[in-house]
Amino acid sequence: MSVKKIAKDDFAVFVDALIAKTSVIGVQAKGDRFDFAPLESAKNLRLDYDVTLQPPKKYFLPPTEVLMTFEIGGAYRSAYEDEPFVLLGVHPYDMVAINQMDELFQQDNYDAHYMKRRNNATIIACDVVKPSENVFASSMGTAVVRGGYDVLLTDIGNAYVAESGTPKGEKLLAGMKGVTADDAALKSRESVWAKNKKGLNRHELKCDPAYLPRLLDKAYDHPVWEERARTCFACGSCNQVCPTCYCFNVQDDVNWDLQTGKRERAWDGCLLNGFTKVAGEHEFRNQRSDRFRHRLYRKAKYVPSKIGGQIACVGCGRCVAACLPDIANPVSVYNRLIDDQGIG
Amino acid sequence: MSKPKIAIFDFACCEGCQLQFVNLEEELLDLIGVADVVEWREAMSEKSQEYDIAIIEGSITRLEDEERLKLIRSRAKVLIALGACATIGGVNKLKNNFNDLDEVKKCVYGKDSKKPHLATQPTKAVDEVVDVDFYVHGCPIDRKEFTYIVRCLLLGKTPEIPDYPVCVECKAKGNPCLWQYGQVCLGPIIRAGCGARCPSNGFRCFGCRGYTSNPNVDAAKEVIDKFGLTVDHLKTKMVLFGSRQEPTIYG
Repeated sequence: MSVKKIAKDDFAVFVDALIAKTSVIGVQAKGDRFDFAPLESAKNLRLDYDVTLQPPKKYFLPPTEVLMTFEIGGAYRSAYEDEPFVLLGVHPYDMVAINQMDELFQQDNYDAHYMKRRNNATIIACDVVKPSENVFASSMGTAVVRGGYDVLLTDIGNAYVAESGTPKGEKLLAGMKGVTADDAALKSRESVWAKNKKGLNRHELKCDPAYLPRLLDKAYDHPVWEERARTCFACGSCNQVCPTCYCFNVQDDVNWDLQTGKRERAWDGCLLNGFTKVAGEHEFRNQRSDRFRHRLYRKAKYVPSKIGGQIACVGCGRCVAACLPDIANPVSVYNRLIDDQGIG
Repeated sequence: MSKPKIAIFDFACCEGCQLQFVNLEEELLDLIGVADVVEWREAMSEKSQEYDIAIIEGSITRLEDEERLKLIRSRAKVLIALGACATIGGVNKLKNNFNDLDEVKKCVYGKDSKKPHLATQPTKAVDEVVDVDFYVHGCPIDRKEFTYIVRCLLLGKTPEIPDYPVCVECKAKGNPCLWQYGQVCLGPIIRAGCGARCPSNGFRCFGCRGYTSNPNVDAAKEVIDKFGLTVDHLKTKMVLFGSRQEPTIYG
């Protein structure tokens, strides 16, 4: 795979040419924040962003989507979105989250709806230039990513260093005007990585994240769940902005002929009232504290057990910012458990 | 199977929710294709005493209205409360914040306040008078939600109406939180289902769909503290749609 040094102006020319050819989703300003949105011009692209309001997850798992159309008592037909697109400006922690989702959606029942979109995507990731207010990727080992993207961009001040990660990325890179990155450029990139490995750390986890599953082994009955959940709105904001929350609900709706209809899935959230409601109106995580605990177990114990021990919190800090009563911060909960239970 | 008969009745309200039926436009033809509308004062002159589904719009503010509603309930197999006035009492419950209704009447009607047709009583939501089978929340209602509920009903299926806060839909839309922009938004305690329409357009949630079944008032108090506000700030925002409502009883 090759590594190029590309002048910023040349990169803008490349982006505009890309927009003319295919659908490009890029990070842009939204008021005084940032978010991913369809990109109309390279001049709207903001690779200097701190964090986006929503992670890029929605381009693979939309908030609502039609899974199939059906006829009652008759045939059904799966529905797929099948359009190629480029996702431009994915930060390393979000890339790690996508890599985890890729594993999860291919496990057990292969999710063709997710994977169709994923295989249609070309991802241009970019290293963080400006740390967000609540990022803790350094603590989670996700400040830098090596893998998953097609191209990785690193802003080294006067230019970008661009490295391909896949044959698709290699082809894309071939279309960018630039020179093979020299030692000085590679050294600048190394120093960006070294800086981010330490500096994306507004909240510092007091242990190696690999220890978290064992920490939680002993924490099920800890008082912190009740204490925190006392002021939980059960609004699911933490779920809704999380790059690794992938739970969904499935519902049917019929057309006016009362014969044909569609099956839709929509994001769900484990903090929500009704999330665990089953037949007969039984609800097995009825208490807010049960649901609050579940999210933090999910991130650092249950999901890791499905993906080779990777912790399913990538330290983006979005839940910290989204939680009005300030209780969602995973670092502060895990640190509290470490303070009480020690390590080891 | 014969088509079910639907009758639509209005009580104290602005009739804006019924107007949403008219706004269904081509879908209105679909609706009357699967059901017979036998009474609907806003759109037709016929009346009927035989119907399967009664749709009640408006809140109940007079004794004779209570009697009329009970009669409708006795005739209907299914009763639907339509819109905030019917589901939670809505804006009409503002008057319940005053202890002396004679004073309220004097303030509103002046010298005519004693006339018999202006008799009034504390506002009630429909379910404070009769049993309600289904609720169509909002001020006004969401047309898509209404037609979804009707189709569920015709299939004998229970509609799934959200019992989680507006924040869920607001965050999914990628909106920044309005609290961080100085607005006292009721989203965290109000039932979703509107698609976070107001916050998505820069207005705080006014609470027209009513509280979730289990709103966390403790959390609300914590948050207003954090933002340097008082309970009174919150009350002034809750009063419009949330007056005298369980479980908060915030004036």
